[in-house]
Amino acid sequence: MSTKTLKSAVATMALLAFAPSAMAQELTLGLRAGPDSIDPHWSTLGSQAEALRHVFDTLVDVDDNLQLQPGLAVSWEAVEDTVWEFKLREGVKFHDGTDFTAEDAKFSIDRIPEVTGPMPMTLYTKYVESVEVVDDYTLRVHTKGIAPALPNDFTRMFVVPSETGMEAGNEEFNSGEKAIGTGPYRFVSWEPKGDMVLDRNDDYWGGAPAWERVVRKEIPDDAARVAALRSGQVDMINYVPASDYAAIQNNADLETFIADSVYILNIAPSVKDEEPQPIRVNGVEVEGNPLQDLRVRKALDLAINRDVLVNIVLEGLATPATQLMPSGFFGYSEELGERPYDIEQAKELLVEAGYPDGFEIDFTCTNNRVPGDAVVCEALGQMWSRLGLTVNAQALNGTVFFPAAAREEYTMTMSAWGTLTGEAAYTYGALVHTKDAEKGFGNFNRTGYSNPEFDRVFGEGTQTLDEDARRALYEEASVIAMEDRALIPTVILQSVWASKAGMLEFTPRTDQETRAYAITPVE
Amino acid sequence: MFGYLITRFAQAIVVVFAMSVIVFVGVYAIGNPIDVMIDPGATQEIRERLIIQYGFDQPLWRQYFTFVSNVAAGDLGTSMVYNIPVTNLVFSRLPATLELVLVSITIAAVIGIPAGIWAGYRPDSLGAKAIMALSVLGFSVPTFWIGMLLIMGFAVNLGWLPSGGRGQVSSFLGINTSLATSSGWSHIILPALNLSLFKMGLMIRLTRAGMVEAMQTDYVKFARAQGLPDRQIVFSHILRNISIPIVTVFGLELGSTLAFAVVTESVFNWPGVGKLIIDSILTLDRPVMVSYLIMVVILFVMINLAVDLIYARLDPRVRLKGGA
Repeated sequence: MSTKTLKSAVATMALLAFAPSAMAQELTLGLRAGPDSIDPHWSTLGSQAEALRHVFDTLVDVDDNLQLQPGLAVSWEAVEDTVWEFKLREGVKFHDGTDFTAEDAKFSIDRIPEVTGPMPMTLYTKYVESVEVVDDYTLRVHTKGIAPALPNDFTRMFVVPSETGMEAGNEEFNSGEKAIGTGPYRFVSWEPKGDMVLDRNDDYWGGAPAWERVVRKEIPDDAARVAALRSGQVDMINYVPASDYAAIQNNADLETFIADSVYILNIAPSVKDEEPQPIRVNGVEVEGNPLQDLRVRKALDLAINRDVLVNIVLEGLATPATQLMPSGFFGYSEELGERPYDIEQAKELLVEAGYPDGFEIDFTCTNNRVPGDAVVCEALGQMWSRLGLTVNAQALNGTVFFPAAAREEYTMTMSAWGTLTGEAAYTYGALVHTKDAEKGFGNFNRTGYSNPEFDRVFGEGTQTLDEDARRALYEEASVIAMEDRALIPTVILQSVWASKAGMLEFTPRTDQETRAYAITPVE
Repeated sequence: MFGYLITRFAQAIVVVFAMSVIVFVGVYAIGNPIDVMIDPGATQEIRERLIIQYGFDQPLWRQYFTFVSNVAAGDLGTSMVYNIPVTNLVFSRLPATLELVLVSITIAAVIGIPAGIWAGYRPDSLGAKAIMALSVLGFSVPTFWIGMLLIMGFAVNLGWLPSGGRGQVSSFLGINTSLATSSGWSHIILPALNLSLFKMGLMIRLTRAGMVEAMQTDYVKFARAQGLPDRQIVFSHILRNISIPIVTVFGLELGSTLAFAVVTESVFNWPGVGKLIIDSILTLDRPVMVSYLIMVVILFVMINLAVDLIYARLDPRVRLKGGA
């Protein structure tokens, strides 16, 4: 090798190593999680929807605060009790040039039960009885019973062309052959846990996005993601860990974006006649379940100092929760104010309930599902010991926690819950309503909580098509659930993004999605 | 020799079989993957249908039996998360791990063995003491911490090397590897160095211990008395005698690094198999967990076999007999 070739080899190497990843028109994102497949009907995973949204559009879209807005459907209304009519957007083309029509939407809805995996998207089609194509741009969905939440379910209803064919599976999508949508970006390549590369769709119906090419790098390790941003390998990262937040804020080369997330850490006290793990007073098992006494649950609630959780335990990356959903969601009750902290009153309530010396209780949480779950768990244990309880707090890996929680083996738990659809039916139907397999409610009600009054009000809401009337009923349900302390909400977690300073503009979203087409370069 | 191979093969089958039972029972005891994966909005009906679809309602022995008969038919199963056959998934990521491990093992051997020889040859010299001190650091300081330091130093502050990921992949002699491109090398240097430190420390200490011991032996004294130069004594006599423990440890380390380079792979976001298995454990992706662990067992059995064969080459006193 001559010196000259050696020199040029070194130069190429240097170029490749130091080339700025963003050449004005390219955006490189470092993300904690990516899709599991390019088939948009495979899984309900949040990171899957986030990634595939770039390639495929949904019938109904959601805004920054998860409230409904038009997507491929421009409007929708219930024309009969069990029939929803969707008016579809005209003039939309798939990436291969074919027109989008109602046939494609029908095909997409019908395809889900055929191909979906162990995180089944059938939960978005559970109300669908049949789909009828009225004309090219009108779709009618016949529902099983009255289904006011159908448009919410369709916020994850990705549309693929009807030519895809039922037999096309994962492989054809992953290779790109069938990865044809109407979305703002065209699919270029992807591999599991690796990079997803996207090219701009210049003909996008919503206007072509700003970046010509987007590379979504999957970097699950928090420290590695931060290092990738600091070394300039990526332009922006999501899920900035609390431990790096302050350092990034103080770094003039970087800037941060912060917003409330949908995730709330909820305490779930079992109110069954016999608690799964025994509660003891002075080492002796208590007769009956103390948590059945509302005064005890109120005492637990009053003993939580949410300001300390927010400002000290979570280093400011949270806000106090007043109920099971963040403000502005459909069914959020303005009537419920801040939850007070009053340790004296809490102690009095315990005395009234007959536990002047407190009791010993097991408290189990997740430790890896959301940032901060383990530290909040420990802090709650300490707060309740000030109340006079002996708390055996234990934070477990989700892999262990969830199956055991599903078997209802814990007396009191804490885990994160996100109202992913932006409306109350999702949360109350799963967590608070009495367990009822027939109606499909209470699947995640592991506490045994059952209040006929709540079930009536909430049930009426799920059968009310009128939006205002339904909202009022859900708000009433929120108040009942909180009066009862069916679950005790603690804090709303916040999510943080960070990017190179002065490079881009981005409005953080409640659902934590990082949508490349919503990021614009600074002029 | 042939009988020996047959016996080893039979042993390997028993080990793989026992391992598969242990793994299966362990994974089964953790619980139902559907409860980890399913979206909270799903109804009981959807959940039950899935449990039946994936056969989790079956008793343990039947699930195991189904698994074993599928494996016997050459089907290791399909990942529940990615919907891709496990073998494809593993083999798509294996090259990345292989090249990382090869480079790091090479660094460890090329630096570690000569350094160990020197440290054993002149144990009282200042250089030897420095080498020994560094070797202690090598295997006592946590990998992830050194990894972060390397990233902070070389990627963030100096900006010489990328902070993570695998470089450009191109084809070299029909093999797709990132070692054929300069961007590939710039990406692999830091993780490989990080991964090699522990092994390097190990190599240094093993070689040194062997050297110090061998220097006292009669054959070295005789060789010296014969007037052979030190260089010849060290490289043709001592090295051959001390290589058995080195080869053993080298083999074991090669296996464990291939299978579990998890920490380095996470810190450097290296798309290898270690990260794949950790992710599958977190999502309880049973087919991947079980099949991967079984592949690892096979890998270890093969490496041990190779090590035994090398013994026989190195030391004529070792005989490979049927019952050994």
